[in-house]
Amino acid sequence: MSQKITISPITRLEGHGKIEIFLNDKGDVEDAFWQVVELRGFERFCIGRPVEEMTRIVPNICGVCPSAHHMAATKALDQIYGVEPTPAARLIRELEFNAFYIEDHYIHFFFLAAPDFVVGPHGDPKERNILGVIGKVGKEIGLKVIDIRKRNRDIIRHIFSKAPHPEGGLPGGVPRGFTEEERRTVKETADLSLEFAQFAVKLFKDLVLENKESLALITDEAYKLKTYYMSLVDDDNKVTFYDGKVKVITPDGKEFAKFDPVDYVDHIGEWVEPWTYIRLTHLKKLGWSGLVEGDKTSLYRVAPLARLNVADGMKTPLAQKEAEMMFEVLGGKPAHNTLAMHWARLICALQAAEHNVMIANDPLLTSKDIRNMDFKMTGKGVGCVEAPRGTLFHHYETDEKGILTKANLIVATQNNAGPICMSVKKAAQAFVKGPDVKEGFLNMVEMAFRAYDPCLSCATHALPGEMPLSVSIRDSKGEVIRAIERGV
Amino acid sequence: MAVKPKVAIYWLGGCGGCDEAIVDLNEAILHVANAVDIVLWPVAMDFKYSSIEKMNDGEITLSLLHGNVRNSEHAEMAMLLRRKSQLVLSFGACANYGGTPALANFRSKKDIFDWVYRDSPTVVNPKGTYPQTISEVNGKTLILPEIFDHVYALNQVIDVDYYLPGCPPPPDLILNAVSAVLSGKLPPKGTTLSPHMAMCDACERNKTKPFKLEIKEMKRIHEVEMDNETCFLAKGVICMGPATRSGCGNTCVSTNTPCRGCFGPVSHSCDSGAKFLSAIASLLQAENDDQVERVVDTVVDPAGYFYRFTQAASILHKFDENKNRRCP
Amino acid sequence: MDEYKPNILCFKCNFGWGYLDDKTEVKAIVKNMVPVTCSGKVDTTHILTALKGGADGVLILGCNQGECHFQDGNYQTGKKILLIKKVLTSFGIEPKRVRMVFSIDPDGNKVPMEIEDMRNEISPFGPINIGKCAMAS
Repeated sequence: MSQKITISPITRLEGHGKIEIFLNDKGDVEDAFWQVVELRGFERFCIGRPVEEMTRIVPNICGVCPSAHHMAATKALDQIYGVEPTPAARLIRELEFNAFYIEDHYIHFFFLAAPDFVVGPHGDPKERNILGVIGKVGKEIGLKVIDIRKRNRDIIRHIFSKAPHPEGGLPGGVPRGFTEEERRTVKETADLSLEFAQFAVKLFKDLVLENKESLALITDEAYKLKTYYMSLVDDDNKVTFYDGKVKVITPDGKEFAKFDPVDYVDHIGEWVEPWTYIRLTHLKKLGWSGLVEGDKTSLYRVAPLARLNVADGMKTPLAQKEAEMMFEVLGGKPAHNTLAMHWARLICALQAAEHNVMIANDPLLTSKDIRNMDFKMTGKGVGCVEAPRGTLFHHYETDEKGILTKANLIVATQNNAGPICMSVKKAAQAFVKGPDVKEGFLNMVEMAFRAYDPCLSCATHALPGEMPLSVSIRDSKGEVIRAIERGV
Repeated sequence: MAVKPKVAIYWLGGCGGCDEAIVDLNEAILHVANAVDIVLWPVAMDFKYSSIEKMNDGEITLSLLHGNVRNSEHAEMAMLLRRKSQLVLSFGACANYGGTPALANFRSKKDIFDWVYRDSPTVVNPKGTYPQTISEVNGKTLILPEIFDHVYALNQVIDVDYYLPGCPPPPDLILNAVSAVLSGKLPPKGTTLSPHMAMCDACERNKTKPFKLEIKEMKRIHEVEMDNETCFLAKGVICMGPATRSGCGNTCVSTNTPCRGCFGPVSHSCDSGAKFLSAIASLLQAENDDQVERVVDTVVDPAGYFYRFTQAASILHKFDENKNRRCP
Repeated sequence: MDEYKPNILCFKCNFGWGYLDDKTEVKAIVKNMVPVTCSGKVDTTHILTALKGGADGVLILGCNQGECHFQDGNYQTGKKILLIKKVLTSFGIEPKRVRMVFSIDPDGNKVPMEIEDMRNEISPFGPINIGKCAMAS
């Protein structure tokens, strides 16, 4: 008699999803499905719009990471209008993008991830939230996170109006620059962010490396997944966010592919399943392997851990040191430990912070030459950035007047869609034995997918420390034989 | 001890930006959080579907709903929260008028599905699979909500008490709106909680508008080098300021980026797109009658500009004529 | 079965069309007529509301170009109509369902003719069908 467990967080994950877990006759987990329940159709309803309006429309794809879509769109516009941004414009774009990384990653870490490590997955659920973290590390930290977030978002607002949603990226430029006076504020923010970034990484190491339980979690087999990895890398093969070539490595760490984002269609395939609205990306040249890991897989992962796996190192010195230490602890590259994404995330934020200190001191920042208007219509552009949640592709084509005729988006989270299903299944398999479902099981499953994507984990991490879950175990006739409601 | 009013914050077919806007209240949010009992906020707080269902009708003082209604789950939750709430605040452009995703109403659901699951260059779908509301995988039944043929604004699905515009609403308006509800100092039902005048009136660039504004040719935004003073329309760039409600703080125009109308119509107007069409038409100027069509043709994609955020609430797609009109 | 006859709403400028006519005559023949002081008074919202309200077509009768009693009312509305046609296309509504005629017709005799002419043009499109939504109930 097979049984079904529904984790229906009608709390709605960003992108709105739910999880279904199926047990076999023995009560072991046979299958798990992460279902995305929404589809909006940006790729179609943008057709007919003047393509330069895309930087006004696509930020609405996501309110948590609008800057990612905005920047990918801006870069696509560069290609469509046949222009390179001026050096100052490029610098300003990178400043904004780094600022976005910083504020985005720290909200995720402190409010959503840190509780798991500070309080521990088996700790009191009521403590497993930002308040518990603050209890352990001090109230000033909570206020600092809010301050750092606000300051970096002010940088975004200065250039692109709002956060959310930044708007107004132009082909070949940015709409607004900085005066010397304004540079002072940028410098202050950059310096404070760097200080905070170093503190955050240290905090993580103190919490994890000093804590056997946390360290065990990170290296636990239940949270390992052997997949390919994809990320942008710069000309020196270092981790980069704004621009680069796409590189893919095998589960063993060998280079599998390296290509210009313009050629992404040759490399990325999207598989369709009837039980989810999201398309499951995979390596086209290998064909769809199904939801498997290891040698036979064609699935790849993106985002923080993938970046560190794929690249030869970090671009900035402090981040590089931290990355080396991380791989030492994890036992070399590539690391497959899903929970190490949290660690890698902080290292990426550190690189962004280091880079912004350099930009803040760059004389070019206050240049008035922020628009290159020497346009030549090419009609096609693939804007690709390494967004906080992974590699993001915005592919647009237009007619000769620059009206959009075709759009194809590979959204960062999509790249992890298949692996998320598998991580959930693995965690479920590790902790669900037989029909007796332990309380802790629910936390363990949450942790598996929270590591991937702040948007998802936003919804799964409740202030009181738990995801509200309704778990129904049904027999094959669909009758509930056991129900758990947690957080009642 | 007085019972704190219950507040629910819930997302329908939105992007999460409105939740981020609430978090952007920063320290101010703590004051609000202390004064109320937040019973539902998926982004940050615990919630049980069953415990909302168990509540009495009207037990929730205020529900802030953001996002448009695009699938059956959105509709269900909107109706549930309406039943359980005394007041519903339609929060943000998507809830109020559909938002940018309502541009999907210019296309069919089939068109979207065919591209997404069949024709996109990266799709690999040899069996021609399409997502189904009910599917079987190895004997297991999986369910998805049904995606509607149309994107609805919130007030086309449930009765709405107040509206807070913006994409997203700015922090000061959010605070004012919530404070007004909590203190009971509310304007008449159906009011939009933002200043009544047009963005144009509040804009600094208004000062540089010539007495007689004439547009001989519409320009695209990237074709023009914008300074921080000149009115966009005076330069021939579309700016929805004249037909858009003010209250946003003019953040876009301050960064040399023209208004795209995310605050929706001004008071006593129901279709900002139609109003703006009339306004732009009056500004266009041809040398002679033969040139009129040529000049009008320089306005590319009028529907996409004029209805960028408000398609679902436009006259041509306003449903249920029997309900009271949405205008304040 | 009745043959489909498009329902046309006609805005008629009083200065240019039928000003010699004892108004009852034209009105008797033409249903759904809205006399206006100047075609310039016809706003976009009026036209869209008419279509939404079930008019299969909207006809605007204005004065000859350059002869508007109020200087350029007809010209202003003419520009609106061109934009409205583009917008209608995006909504999936045939642009020919909105038409403006610039002419002069003192007796109003041409009015029924203009309406019939438009009817013939748009009847192949069928009735306007701005769908009702299930959610409304």
